[in-house]
Parts: sequence; C-alpha cells; structure tokens
Amino acid sequence: MTFRGPKQGRPLGVAISVISVAAFVGLWYVCGRLKLMSTLILPPPQEIWISAVEIFQDGYHHIPLWQHVGISLGRAMVAFFLAVLVGVPLGLAMGLSQVLSSALEPFVQFFRPLPKIALIPLAILWLGIGEVSKIFLIFLSTLFTVVVGSAASVKSVGEGKIRLGAALGATRFQMVWRIILPASLPEIFTSVRLAVGVGWTTLIASEMVAAESGMGWMVMNASSYMRTDIVMLGIILLGLAGYLLDYLLVVAERVTVPWAGRE
Amino acid sequence: MKNRPWLFLAIVLVFLIGLASTAAAPALADAPKEVRLAFLNGPRPWILGKIDGSFDQAFGVPVKWVRFPSGPPALAALAAGEVDIVRVGSVPVTSSLARGLPFKVIALSGVIDTSERLVAKNSIKTVKELEGHSVATVAGSTAHYALLAAFKVHGVDIKNVKLVNLNPADQLAAWKRGDIDASYIWGPAWHDLEQDGGHTLLGSGALNKDGYYLFNAFVVSNDFAEKYPDLVVKFLEVFQKTVDRYQADPDGSAVLIAKELEQGLEGAKLTLAGLVYPSLTEQLKVEWLGDGATTANSNIAKSFGDQAAFLVEQNELRAKDVPESYAPFIDTSFLKKAANP
Repeated sequence: MTFRGPKQGRPLGVAISVISVAAFVGLWYVCGRLKLMSTLILPPPQEIWISAVEIFQDGYHHIPLWQHVGISLGRAMVAFFLAVLVGVPLGLAMGLSQVLSSALEPFVQFFRPLPKIALIPLAILWLGIGEVSKIFLIFLSTLFTVVVGSAASVKSVGEGKIRLGAALGATRFQMVWRIILPASLPEIFTSVRLAVGVGWTTLIASEMVAAESGMGWMVMNASSYMRTDIVMLGIILLGLAGYLLDYLLVVAERVTVPWAGRE
Repeated sequence: MKNRPWLFLAIVLVFLIGLASTAAAPALADAPKEVRLAFLNGPRPWILGKIDGSFDQAFGVPVKWVRFPSGPPALAALAAGEVDIVRVGSVPVTSSLARGLPFKVIALSGVIDTSERLVAKNSIKTVKELEGHSVATVAGSTAHYALLAAFKVHGVDIKNVKLVNLNPADQLAAWKRGDIDASYIWGPAWHDLEQDGGHTLLGSGALNKDGYYLFNAFVVSNDFAEKYPDLVVKFLEVFQKTVDRYQADPDGSAVLIAKELEQGLEGAKLTLAGLVYPSLTEQLKVEWLGDGATTANSNIAKSFGDQAAFLVEQNELRAKDVPESYAPFIDTSFLKKAANP
C-alpha cells in the first residue's frame, strides 16, 4: 500500500505524481490549442475552466455549484454511514456464527455483484422519487461489500490470539470486544474504502431518478444538450470528491486504528 | 511487484496511435459498406421500411438499424461517425447544431400533433390546475419544450409547479405511486398513463396556433451527405413510400409496426395517427422547410430559432453558441430531387 510506504520514499513519490498530472493536463491543453480534436468531442482544459468559472459564479440551473457538490456528497455520506452501521455488525455476526453466515450468504452474494441501476424501477415503486430512493440505491451498492469484508475480517484474526483469550478466561463478549474487533478493524476499514468506491459509482445511477441537483445529475443533464464542457467539469468534480472521500477514510483509519499493519 | 513503466508507456502509445489512425482513416468509395440508420422507440411509418427491407433494396447495400432510447445519444453517435441518418426531435437538433455537431436537416419525418401529450390525473381538468402539482417530463426533449410552452400559453406560473425529470420507462411507476400527477410525454408512453386513470389535457398540435411547432426531423451527417448524396435522395424517396403505405392502410401498418417494435397495438396506432406527415413536395413550401431560397423565412427555420432562444432562457445553451439563423443547417437539395424525380 502506497500510503504506508517507507517514509523516505514519500516526497519523491508525491513529486512524481504531481509531475505526471501536470504533464497530462499540459498535453491535453496542447491538443486543444493545436485543435487536434473537435472541442465538442474533447473539450480542452481552457474551455472547461471558462465553464467552471461561469458555473461557479452563476450556478448551474440557478443552483450554486457548491450545492451540487454538497447534495451529492450528502446523499453518498448518509448512505455510507447507514451501510457501515448495518453492514459491520451484520458482517461480524456472520463471521462469528456459522448458522447466520450460511443463512445470509446466498442473499449477500446475489445482491453484491448486481448492477444497482437494474433496481431503479423497483426503488421508485417502493420508495418514490425523493431522496430516500436515491440514498437507498447507494446504500445497497455499499452495504454488501462492507458485509463481506467484515465477515472475512473475523476469519483472519489470528488463531493464537483467540486461544490466548480463551486461556485467560475471556467471556464471549470480552472475546469479541477486546480481541476480535480490534484485530478486525484494519480489514474492516479496507472493505469500507472499497465499498465507498463502489457506492460512489452508483451516485450517477441514483441521480438519474428525478433529481434536480447533484453532480451526477449535472453530468446527465448537460449530456442531453451536448454540453460536453459541463460533462467534463462534472466528471472532474466527481473524481476529486471521490479522491477526497477516500483520503478522509485513510486519515480516519490512521487515527482510530494506529495498530494497523504492525503485525 | 516489479515495476514495468516502459511496458505501460508502450501500451499507451500503441493505443493512442490506434486512436489517431482510426480517426484519420480516409474512406473513399462509391458506395458505403452499409448505411446506418438510427431509430428511436416511437412508432413511425419508416419502420415499415425496416420490416420489408425496402431501404436496403433502394441503397443496394445492407442497412444497419441502430436503436437509441432518446435523441441526444443518437446524435452523439452521429458525431462519432457511428450512424449516418437519424430521426430525432427538434429540440435535440437545436441544441446539437448550436454545439457544432456536423450534420444537416434534410426533411421532416413528421409534425407532432397528438403523438406527444400532456396527460394528467382525471381530477385535474385544465392546464392551469397543474399549479401545486408534480409534472414529469424528459429534460431536453420536444415534450419538455412543449410543456413549458403550454404553461406560457395557459398562464401557469412555473414556480408553482414541481417539474420532475424522469425517463418514460420510470414514469409509470412514479405515476402509480402518486409521485407525479401529470406528464408531458411521447407515445406510446402516455397510453399507459391514460389506461391508469389519466386523461389528455392537450396535444402539441394545439400549440401551433400560438406559434410553437414541435416536429421530428431526419438529419444526416455532413460526411455522409457529401460522399453519398444519391443515397440521401433515395432514402427520402423510400421514406415517402412508407408514409404513403401507412396512409393507405393505417390500421394494418400499425399492426406491423407495433409488432416490430414490440409495443402495444393501441398505443402505437394512436401515436402514428398523432403526427402530421407533410409530403416531400409540401415540405418545400415556406410553411415548412422552404425551397432553399425561402428557407430562411420558413416556419421550421424560425421554430429552430425559437427553440434555441428557449434553451438559452433555460440556461441549457450559451447565447454565444446559438447561430444567427438555422437556415444554413437545413439542406433542401435532397428534398427537391426526391420530390421531383
């Protein structure tokens, strides 16, 4: 994992990343300047910048840009929070109980790879066209990855630790709270990071349902009018927000599970 | 893992070269390998030509029919060179031309009368009564434009209406739950809503007297029109024949078209009957596209301008992108040849 790489390698790594991004944007800019491609098919960075400034000042559809970003992040965060709240205990329980695991496994494995876009008609019928159905779609796409990851994390707890706990006379509750949970947390964090990545991709699908704001909606709406400049701006914002979410999770992991990766 | 930056770079380079060469590949030939026609789900007479292969026969090369859920992706495919001729609504044509897509309008495929309708729950009796209710439509479509035009004509304050952007396929579910009280949508989608406790408040044709024209057009990529003008003329000739056949036997044609598109017969029949089909000769009048000399003053050229102004008002297009006139994008030369062989 690059985030926990050797300390002396990091400044160099960051420099290479910065140069590679700068080179990419530079090449893209030059392609635009030399008109190698129609600006409709690949809008150059300068055009996207102009649109970004316009939208930043006047909003898109009279809604300020920060609100589009905010509402998408809000929908996603609520869904992620609920998925962790439900998924981690459920996954741990499945990891601990063979019966529960056998009972739920078919459902989890059925829903996890299911393209959530297929559930749109049902989500509308069950939950309507408001915020609930949008959050539900993101929640579903996040939940099962968290469940699977949490269940697997229990199995990865070292046999030695469990024996040690048993030898010291730990109760079942103590065993879970003091030994299994702390040892599983690093893996749970990894599964949440994966799940957030998956959930973020469902954002566009969820905002196809009667949305009037949000980054995913902005991209979809602009594409109906061939506003490829706004489409690209939306894609860049979606990517950056996804990056930021992942970074926040990495920080949260370092703070709450400082023992991660030290075994 | 061992890093292999050179391998990665080589792959990227090969990919880019491949991309560049496909974009630049010249394709000069007397006839194309195939003609690619883009169609939407709406039942239309030209589908008769899909069923019996009359386009293939006229062209002398096979036709590839490509289905799209709505106009904008079909036009995006046209811009990418994936399709040659598209039947599409007037609003996507307006926005795409403003954004510089390389195509021209060659004919009207039909003028919308009752094939697109504002359908509301039975308890809502007039357009004005929609205030305080939720109305669904598809953003950027002819129906969306017609809905806002209907609001203007009937004095509905848009601030008092909740507009909901929903795909036709998702509208019935929202309608059944009571999340939407009305919808402006094309056929046969409105037929389902009418079957489920809805009724028509108005059809788009009712807006003509106030100067709002909604229509479908055939557009052809500049590339194809330049290379194969004869095929474009042949296309229009066959199109007119399918319209003639439909008009000679509307019910029999509807059965065939509904079957081909896998749709309910009743909705297809009503949708087909809900369009006006000016003949190729009629289309050359100033009332429609004009004959080239009169095109700048034609109703259709003006209507494109109105729709562009509407899209600017809606903040969908930038005023600086909108052309001064849409007449230069209307090419009636094919129409003339097809109308007077």
